[in-house]
Parts: sequence; structure tokens; C-alpha cells
Amino acid sequence: MDVLTNLLHGFASALTLQYLLLAALGVTLGTAIGVLPGIGPALTVALLLPLTYNFDPTGALIMFAGIYYGGMYGGSTTSILLNTPGESASVATTFEGFAMAKSGRGGAALATAAIGSFVAGTISTLLLTFVAPVIARLALLFQPADYFSLTVLAFMSVTALVGKSFLRGMVSLFIGLFIGLIGIDVLTGQPRLTFGLTELLDGIDVVVVAVGLFAVGEALYVASQMRHTKEEILPVKSRVGMTREEWRRSWPAWLRGTLIGFPFGALPAGGAEIPTFLSYTTEKRLSKNKAEWGHGAIEGVAGPEAANNAAFSGVLVPLLTLGLPTSATAAILLVAFQIYNLQPGPLLFQKSPELVWALIASLYIGNVMLLILNLPLIRIWIKILAIPRAVLYAGILVFGTLGVYSISNSFMDVMIMYAIGVLGFFMRRYGFPVGPTILGVILLPMAEAQFRRALSISQGDPSVFFTRPLSLGLLLAATAAVILPYIPALIARLRRKPVKVDRVVFGDGQED
Amino acid sequence: MTSGNDSKPAFSTRALFSLRAVALTVIILGGIILTQVSQIGTGAGFIVVGPRVFPTAIGIGILILGFLFLLRTTVVLDNDLVADVVSENATTDWTTTMLTLLSLVAYASLLHPLGYAIATAFFFPVIGRILGSTQLRRDIIVGVALGLVIYLAFTRVLGVRLPAGLLTGIL
Repeated sequence: MDVLTNLLHGFASALTLQYLLLAALGVTLGTAIGVLPGIGPALTVALLLPLTYNFDPTGALIMFAGIYYGGMYGGSTTSILLNTPGESASVATTFEGFAMAKSGRGGAALATAAIGSFVAGTISTLLLTFVAPVIARLALLFQPADYFSLTVLAFMSVTALVGKSFLRGMVSLFIGLFIGLIGIDVLTGQPRLTFGLTELLDGIDVVVVAVGLFAVGEALYVASQMRHTKEEILPVKSRVGMTREEWRRSWPAWLRGTLIGFPFGALPAGGAEIPTFLSYTTEKRLSKNKAEWGHGAIEGVAGPEAANNAAFSGVLVPLLTLGLPTSATAAILLVAFQIYNLQPGPLLFQKSPELVWALIASLYIGNVMLLILNLPLIRIWIKILAIPRAVLYAGILVFGTLGVYSISNSFMDVMIMYAIGVLGFFMRRYGFPVGPTILGVILLPMAEAQFRRALSISQGDPSVFFTRPLSLGLLLAATAAVILPYIPALIARLRRKPVKVDRVVFGDGQED
Repeated sequence: MTSGNDSKPAFSTRALFSLRAVALTVIILGGIILTQVSQIGTGAGFIVVGPRVFPTAIGIGILILGFLFLLRTTVVLDNDLVADVVSENATTDWTTTMLTLLSLVAYASLLHPLGYAIATAFFFPVIGRILGSTQLRRDIIVGVALGLVIYLAFTRVLGVRLPAGLLTGIL
């Protein structure tokens, strides 16, 4: 089996002292920053990007994988103890997690989150190991028309399935597409929408957009609501661990969460948001102790946390094999690849097998490290939560500015980032999800390039998107994603039952 | 159209006004994009899909979406959204928001002339104060430490360039 040989080679290089240290550093930094309320994995990776400019690519990516895992894990701590999810994928955890913490069972909630993340992370990395090479081979069959339809699917599923309003999601997406257009057109060398500013010729960096929307937008929003928010950190009185009964109830939830999380992460549907909510509702429906829900049912923490972690390995499948980032964090990881002139896609597995397999091996290692580091250190992480809000957001602004300024020491970049921050502030204020904006910025170049390539191959015949079975299938899936949320209401109406909601929603679309 | 669906019509009028302003901004953005399209050169040689196609499509898309959103704030009112905005408005503290933004702009403009370490040492306590911190001494210490540590770590260890400013030759 060449997968196993490759993986063993990967372990051989990932287990060198240097890479082990980088993985440990990544996991620790990721957790420490992820624990801070309001900072999720995407921002964590974006802020720490400048740290790795001097590393070799394998080392940098190993560290990033660690940061991502750590950031996700840290986010669950904040959700459980503070009821403040760092990103939308942790929202589902807050429901039962915070309730458990309130009833003095915070220790058990943290333990099931940590161990569940480990179980889910390991199983889904195993799935990634075997699925990714297969998809990479399949991906060689993808033609430009198929790639374009794939980006359409990604756009539609994120906008339609996430967020309260499809219309506002579409507005967000199109603003992202607009930002993605700015700069020189790669095919003809013509400047587009630069408004005469030479600084805009190179386009707007994804890091600038992400830090602007997530860090500055969030900080401005918090500033605007400063006088009206109070928060309490719940002390963890109990021991961090689980009773036999809690183990028994967590196991099946972890496994189900993993099985829900991985495929949803792998689909171009916006990462971990949908599967965490799906896992939450599944567990609630299957639970024998329905009365406990809302007062701290452990399955409601175990399932979504497992789904969250499994979705990350899932997200790596389209990222590594198709070069298609499906979440904000994946997009920043893509930037990290591009810094080293690596283009993820079907050829990555052939061109840089050492790097890919060392990265996959380091995912296994990162998972183990996270478990070893976190269970005993939970009390230290909790101390981070005690940092006063004012100091915390002052720090976020310093590091956000640093992250953008250090790219090229440009005052203009920082100003653009602040402007995008103001945009993010108003978007949050008026209920526009920021997830679709980021996705639009990231995927526009790919969508446009493949669209143009497809039409030049077909000599201008647009039917190419509908006659290729793969492309047609992807477009149909995109249509289904738009219609799907309305179906329950439609069925209810046909059966003449009262309609509760017009549209089913998954999460609030505030990924960061 | 501003039918009194709220117990406090004055608040809901304000919310409606701001939502319509948002819709108009989106429409104007669409218009700006479309006027800019004509300035995009088509480049030499024949290309099936030129550089203007996507900007045009996206400009039209934004224009249409802006009008649809305007409808949701007038004829087919989105009551949930209005209620959300009303409660946001009630708790918004504009002074803090504007001061935060102003100090950010000042920080960015001072990075080069003063140098990274000094600008950060000033910015941190100022923004901390704006955001409600009362411990000035602690914030000054943290600011100075952050500025120095980041500057030294980035320039000496990580090899990333940051401006030395006034401290050129000293640091």
C-alpha cells in the first residue's frame, strides 16, 4: 500500500526534533490565543502568519496545523466557561456546555470536549489519509468548467445554508467578489477597480481582509457595545475529568459527531458550522434524557466538539486536492502555502509528497500533543480568560495591525485593513454574515480564471457548463443548496400545518 | 410604509432610516463598479471572455441585490431585522467607537515616524483607556513591553522588518 509507505515517510520527517517542537509550539500558541474570547482559528492563523516567514514550508505548515487545532480547542473552552463562542463552529457547544458549567460540571464539559476532539481528530485524520490521495487522482479529471461549477457550489452553499437571511448573505458574498476583483487582471494585465491607486494594483491580500473583518470589525463592535455587556467567568470547581456514566454517554456522541463532521467539512459547504449544528440536533433527538437538555446534557458538548474537529480534517481534503478553501481558516492556510510558492491541487501530492505527508503525519502528532498538553493545563488556560476586556481588545488591535503592517511595512495596507474593519463593523451591526465575504474574496480569482479558461476551450459556447456531467451535477447541487432550507416550510404548507419558520438556518455565519 | 409595528415608533424610524441608508450604499457601490468598468482596458489580442465581463456581472449583481434589500426595508419589511437594529441602536456607544477608530488611524500614521516600539507604547494605554481600562500604570508597562518585545523579536529573531523610527541606532 503506497499510502502507508508515504505516511511512514511522513512520520519519519515529522518526528524530527525540530518539527516536533514546531508542532508543540503551534498547539500551545493556538490554544492560548484561541482561548481569548472573540478570536477564532482563522484570526489566530492570520495573526501568527508573520512568525513563519523564515521557516521552511514543511515546518511552517506543521506549525499552522497545530495552531488551527489548538485554536479550535481553545475556542471550546471559551464557549463552555464564558458562553462566548470564538467562531460560529463553537456556537453549538455553548448551549449545553455553558449550562453544564453553570451547574458546576464545567470540568466534565471541558474533558469531553478535549477527549472528543482527540478521538474525532484522530479518526478523521485517518479518513483524510486514505480519502485525499483518491480525490487527488480524481481531481486530475476536473476540467475548468467543473472547477468553476465547484466554486459556484461553494458560494451557494455557504450563503444559503448559513445566516439568517439569504439576501443578506448574497450581499455579503458579492461585496467579497468585488474586493476579490480589485487589482491587475492576470490574463490581460489590465488594472481593474483600482480607482487610480497604485497600492491597489496587487489586489487586496486575504490576510488584510480577514484581519480587517475579524479583528478590527469585532473590536469596533465590542467598543460600540462596551457599556452594555457584562460577563462572568464560571469557575471550574469540579475535577477536570469524567465519571464512568459520562464516558458511556460521550463515546457514541463523539463517533457520530466525527461521522457527521468529516464529510461536511470535505464538501465545499463552509467548513464546520453546519455539521456542528447537525450533530447537536442529532444528539438531542437520539437522547434518552430529553429533560436534561438545556440544563447541561453532556452529549450536546461531545457531539458538536467532535464534529468541529472532524470537519477540519475534512476541510483539508478539498484544500489539498483541489486547491479549494471552503472556510476562512482554510483560505488563510492557502495563503500560507502560496507564501512558499506551493499551489495546493491535484499535483501537490505528486510534486511535493514529502511536504503533504509530513503535514498529514503532523496532524496525528498534533492531536496527541493537544490532549497531553490540555487536560493538565486547563487551569492555566482558564487564567487567560481573566484578562480584562479592554486590555484584550487593545492587544488584538496591536497584533492585528502588526500582522498587516509586517507584510510590507505599508501604511496604505493598514488603512485598507481599517476600512475593511469599518465595513465589518457595519456588517455585524446590520446582520450581514462575514463568512460569505471572505469566501468571495478568496474564491473569486479561481472562479473567474476557470470560467474564462472553460469558455476559451469551448470557443465561447456556454453550454459547456451544462453538458459536462460533473459540472452539471455540481450546479444542480448548488441549486439544491439554495432550495433546501425552504423545503420543511413548503412541506408544512402543503400539509396545511402551521409554518414555524420559513427557512431553516444553520448557525449565524459569524465565522472568525 | 413605516407602519407602527413597534411600541416605540421613534426608535424604529431611526432603525429603518439606517437600514435604508445601508441599502442605498449597496446600490451606490453597484453603480460605482459599473461606471469603473468602462475604464478597464480590454487588452491586446482576442480573448473569449475579456477583463470586463466579471466586473460587469458583479456590478449588476450588487445593484440588483441592493434594490432587493431596499424592498426589504420598505415595501416587504423585514420586521426581525428592524427589531434587531432597534435593540442594537439602544446600546450603541458611538463615542467609544469613533475614538477607537481615530486612535487606530493615529497609531498607523505614527508607526513610521516614531518607530514601531514607541508608537505601540503610546497606542496601548490610549486604546485601553478608550475601551474602559482604569489601570493606566499597568497599561503603560504592558504597552512599552509589547512594543519592545515585538520589535526585537521580529527584527532580530524572525527577520521581519519593522520601522525603528526615533530609536534608530539605539535599538
